[in-house]
Amino acid sequence: MLRANAITKRFGRTLALDGVDFEALPGEIHALVGENGAGKTTLMKVLSGSLAPDNGQAVLDERPLQAGSPRAALEAGIAAVHQSPMLFERMTWEENLALGGFDPGAELLDLAAVATRARALAAKLGFELPPGGITIENRSVAERVRLEVLRALSFNPRVLILDEPTSVLGPSELAAFLDLLRNLRGEGRIVVLITHKLAEAIAVADRVTVLRRGRVVARTTPAETSEEQLAGLMIGEIVIQPDAAAARSHTGAPVLQIENLALADHTGRRILDGLSFRVSAGEIAGIAGVDGNGQTELVELLAGVRKPSDGKVTSRGAMSVIPQNRDLDGLILDMRLWENLILARPLREQVTLHGWLNASRAIGLCRELIERFRIRAPGPDTLASALSGGNRQRLEVARAISSQPRVIVAHNICRGLDLVATAEVHRRILDFAAGGGAVLLISSDLDELLAICGRLLIISGGKIRETNPGDRDPQRLGLLMAGARD
Amino acid sequence: MLSSIAKPFAALALAAALISIVLAALGASPLGVFAALGEGAFGSWYACVDTIVKSTPLIFTGLAVSLAFSGALWNIGADGQLTIGAIAAGAVGTHLGDFPHSIAIATILAAGALGGAVWGGIAGWLRARRDVNEVISTIMLNFVAVQALSWVVHGPLMEPSRAYPTSSPIAPAAQLEFYFAPSRLNLGMLLAVVLAAACYMLLFNTSTGFELRAMGRNRRAATFFGIRIPALTVWAMALSGALAGLGGAVQVSAISHRLYEKLSPGWGFEAIAVALVARLNPLGIIPAALLFGALDNGSQAMQRTQGISPELVQVIQGLVILIILAFDTPAWGGLRENIFGASGDDAAAVPPVAEMPDA
Repeated sequence: MLRANAITKRFGRTLALDGVDFEALPGEIHALVGENGAGKTTLMKVLSGSLAPDNGQAVLDERPLQAGSPRAALEAGIAAVHQSPMLFERMTWEENLALGGFDPGAELLDLAAVATRARALAAKLGFELPPGGITIENRSVAERVRLEVLRALSFNPRVLILDEPTSVLGPSELAAFLDLLRNLRGEGRIVVLITHKLAEAIAVADRVTVLRRGRVVARTTPAETSEEQLAGLMIGEIVIQPDAAAARSHTGAPVLQIENLALADHTGRRILDGLSFRVSAGEIAGIAGVDGNGQTELVELLAGVRKPSDGKVTSRGAMSVIPQNRDLDGLILDMRLWENLILARPLREQVTLHGWLNASRAIGLCRELIERFRIRAPGPDTLASALSGGNRQRLEVARAISSQPRVIVAHNICRGLDLVATAEVHRRILDFAAGGGAVLLISSDLDELLAICGRLLIISGGKIRETNPGDRDPQRLGLLMAGARD
Repeated sequence: MLSSIAKPFAALALAAALISIVLAALGASPLGVFAALGEGAFGSWYACVDTIVKSTPLIFTGLAVSLAFSGALWNIGADGQLTIGAIAAGAVGTHLGDFPHSIAIATILAAGALGGAVWGGIAGWLRARRDVNEVISTIMLNFVAVQALSWVVHGPLMEPSRAYPTSSPIAPAAQLEFYFAPSRLNLGMLLAVVLAAACYMLLFNTSTGFELRAMGRNRRAATFFGIRIPALTVWAMALSGALAGLGGAVQVSAISHRLYEKLSPGWGFEAIAVALVARLNPLGIIPAALLFGALDNGSQAMQRTQGISPELVQVIQGLVILIILAFDTPAWGGLRENIFGASGDDAAAVPPVAEMPDA
């Protein structure tokens, strides 16, 4: 049995965990739910040894775990899969797995043995590994998650803790992944699943523990509860879903025009293949697709990070881009909030006179936006790294909207966000469109797109297609996303 | 705030303790050695001035390094840039005899800055356009600069009698004069201090400086927000080189008055340690460079009066740097927390974030 006894952890001024008790039994999938910043990840890090708590301790089978030592936790049989991928991009998958328990431990690294063992375990769990010698950098997120799980399982742990592993998975991948968890439970392991997707928790978990603001607010089972009840427990208030009707009703002149846009990689393979579409004022156009079908490249082209091999992008008015990877592309984590704000050129120009930066004006602007966009932060001087995921995203949205663009291009902006933050980000986007702005929302979450987009495009294999305005059947659209033809 | 001042002193104290053990083991009297060190560095007006003179090139090169490093451009080539700046100053300086003092000084310093800017700019251009790692290119350019200096003092700029491998002295008009001669106090140090303030303002009070720091912290995000990385890279490396080159020109104009081989004892490399001790803060460069200059200056007195070998002096310098850097880690913050408790007072002033209303 895995137990956490009265764990308290404080980060500076933030009380992340406040006397949390938690237990999970062998042969159980235990869902740990809560909104962003509730303390789920902190609890996971304490249990897996990567953080030492200020108070309390983690206990596995009546034996206290050495605090703050991932190695000791691993030796005791606790393996963790972290939320942000911890894979080495430019190494092959075998090399990545060699850091796990597959390595026979001989003097020389035997990658072939690692690959054989990994394939055997993968087959047992019901999935396949790519051909040998392939690096991580171009693999899909689903594959990355599976590799991380595989690496964790290579230690043959008794406890597997997974932090939001499903937030990056598409519908079909999700089902397979939940089956994988059930298999692990069947082997008598303890599976702790950290998630904020309540449907998933109810579908797969045996028990559910709800965290809010660093405290346990409920312990329950799926049979005794419902998604609505869990949502209420998690956030302590009612969420009002945004009303998308406004965005669908009226559109104006085209603002963003993409013509015959193409991008080829250095081998000549076409990543984007002749995209043509337009987005009009007052419209939210969605691009749905499974990750890795050219979305990232499209956003990079629109942001001007890359040059297209062919075609052109015309934008009538300024464009704000919200890239999908908050922590890498969108924010500079070890800079202050106000500094992150003025990364956007229009805002920087607003506080610059003849090349001189007026820091106090930037700080004032930041304070105003913290207030207006309800960013939970001590103040403009806070480092971006001190914010939770939801608040980082609020900061990005605040920056994009306050730059007063005509067009916002947003990529997977609600990935990993809880209900409150998602609803709020959506409301901001809807308000922006209602005010005459054009929005291009690129997402792999079909539900999100159906909720707020007036028009839906599908991207698959670097090609884009319009869908019928009346066609809003998620299953059919899901098939199109997977590459099916009509 | 207090800790940021106390830290270097604590580091120095620890360094002194360690060094005392080494000295005692070697049979020297630690107290006598430290007294000689202090005496040599600050014991008299001349000693103080010499410390300042020895620190000046370290300020110029330290600023060069901190500016480039702020943009994550690892300029290891301050030594080469200083050398090229010195060559340019030495070459131009001999032809300035007919000019008024102020114009001659402005010209020789501009020549040095330009020389350094070209040398740094080459590495910047190679990085921006050809994706050549600037660590490699600046190290290679260091070799080229050293050989270029050797060549000019044996060849085109060799003094007329051809007896010594040095250049002719620069025109008196182009020499920065000594105030209070015979002490070597000159305008170079003042220029260095002004430039440190200017660099600080550039980095923290201008839009361009912000872009440079943003590029240094996260190149990808900077790209996403339209910061022109290639242009900024060339510009920052050229400016960094100009600072180092200016240091070379000041050295020629004020101190050496001529070129000779091994003009720089490695200022450009010591500058990396200076910049790191100063945590890349241009204003911190001044005390950091003074510390290094004092160690250097005081150590000569140590040799004279206590019979300590110059090698041991280098050991002491190395230990001081290592200990300062070792103290400058999160581990030190953790230690402070363990001793004094978590930063208690300001934690109470603001409610914990976790309890603030969310939406």
